[in-house]
Amino acid sequence: MKIAVYALYFLFLLAFTFFSYLFIDPNLIYLKNLYTGIAFSNRLIVTLIYFFAVLVFFGFYFIFINYFKKKIFVRKDFVIILIMTVTGLIFSYPAILSYDIFNYIATSKVAFFYHENPYILMPIQFVGDPLLLFTHAANKIALYAPFWILLTSIPFFVGFGNFILTLFSLKILNVVFYLLTILLLYRISKNIYSVAIFAFNPLVIIETIISSHNDIVMMCLALFAIILVQKKKYLIASLFLLFSILIKYSTIFLIPVFIYMIYSKVKEKGLSMEKTYLLPTISMVIIFLLSPLREEMYPWYATWFLTFSCLLRSKFVFIATSTLSLGLLLRYLPYMYLGSYAFPTPLLRIIFTVMPVVIGSSYYWYKIKKV
Amino acid sequence: MKNEKFPCLIILVFFLLIFFKTSVFAESSYVLPYPSSMPGSLSYKLHLIYENISKYWYFGDFGQFDYNLKMTDKYLVESKTLFEYKQYLLGYKALQKSDQYFISALPNLIRAERNGKNSFQGVAELKGTAQKHTEVLSKLQQEVPQNFIWTPEDAKPTNLNLKDAIDKSIEIRNKYL
Repeated sequence: MKIAVYALYFLFLLAFTFFSYLFIDPNLIYLKNLYTGIAFSNRLIVTLIYFFAVLVFFGFYFIFINYFKKKIFVRKDFVIILIMTVTGLIFSYPAILSYDIFNYIATSKVAFFYHENPYILMPIQFVGDPLLLFTHAANKIALYAPFWILLTSIPFFVGFGNFILTLFSLKILNVVFYLLTILLLYRISKNIYSVAIFAFNPLVIIETIISSHNDIVMMCLALFAIILVQKKKYLIASLFLLFSILIKYSTIFLIPVFIYMIYSKVKEKGLSMEKTYLLPTISMVIIFLLSPLREEMYPWYATWFLTFSCLLRSKFVFIATSTLSLGLLLRYLPYMYLGSYAFPTPLLRIIFTVMPVVIGSSYYWYKIKKV
Repeated sequence: MKNEKFPCLIILVFFLLIFFKTSVFAESSYVLPYPSSMPGSLSYKLHLIYENISKYWYFGDFGQFDYNLKMTDKYLVESKTLFEYKQYLLGYKALQKSDQYFISALPNLIRAERNGKNSFQGVAELKGTAQKHTEVLSKLQQEVPQNFIWTPEDAKPTNLNLKDAIDKSIEIRNKYL
């Protein structure tokens, strides 16, 4: 039975990787041999495939979580599934849902190839650069904090000027932080079920391993900072929180929680694990909900609270976060089908995001009432 | 009858245009910054410190080009404002600073080109700056006195040849037009 689940899951991941290559940008000269244009000329079919793929992804997720909860799956299974997930998706095309990875590379190139300040100069100012053909935010100065730009120097130099090598090195960098986050979560919880809730959440997998968003790096460093506070290493903890803030700024909102944690530790007030991670979860949920005020509620922002919420061991939190994750992944559907951000896309996005949460919550309350 | 009047009307309009012709220059679309703090205030001193530090923030060939362009604009506006308030010595010094920054801008583009960066946009920007500066300086030329003897309370008077200074500034910028 286990083998069958493993095999089906791995086959599904490989199919998803294959599917991702249908989205190759027509201007991406480095992968022109693989360009088919299918995703842009068969929008309905591609949208339906994506929709069902997300549902299947969540199907596997709920099976895994159920098995881990019932202890049918143990630590060894966790490692096998994790290896399958990473190897099955690491070579996927990253710009299926977002073009951010190209922005990372373009910003890195401004800093380390052109030796210019990416906070002053936009990639578009480097006329004739081939990256401009497919980088979507080339007309913006660096959107990310300096420590992230510094970290992108690793894939940039490992890539030796080869775009494809740089692209996949960047994906590997994010996967390393994904694995580190999992390791840290396990060290905190010593509970494979809690870690599986985070590690195999399809949103975390898609946004981290496929789309390669840097949010995982920011959260990994923040999580490590909190662990260091628990160990009363306040100075190094503060340094890691600073590093985290210098990835993408969002964890700046963890500072009050961080101060409270240090205060509790100094005053010898014992905080349970649930209580310790409830505060950062709430803090990150608030920032996530406020994100539309700045720009938009991007699905990968959910990583901010999913990193902490998996440690709360609450059925309600699990249902709320997993249904919201599903809703956020379905948020891509309207644009994928319509190819435009104009009306009715914004309205449909809200509906697709909220609907699974409403259904999930209703089911939860119905179950509670029944009990 | 109607047809006879028409050529006469055209000739009349033509002569009117010739006699009442005025020189109209196309104004450049380049936008200069607002005047910032002026010499004498504490914020001006802080601004100078900020300027010196930000020089390092604007690293790289294009970065340095941007920095010099930003500074030449800033000091031109400062000079213009000071001249308008008849602070000729300070205005004169600001104009010299603006010239210096303007001269320093181009070598960065040359360096950029040597480093494989396409500096086409920069050259166009420099031309736009030169054009706007020339417009401002030409207007200033008509407003400031040719010579001005600046007599401070405890020091020797200084003879400022404002016309020559503005001429020189225009000449520097005209090289890039």
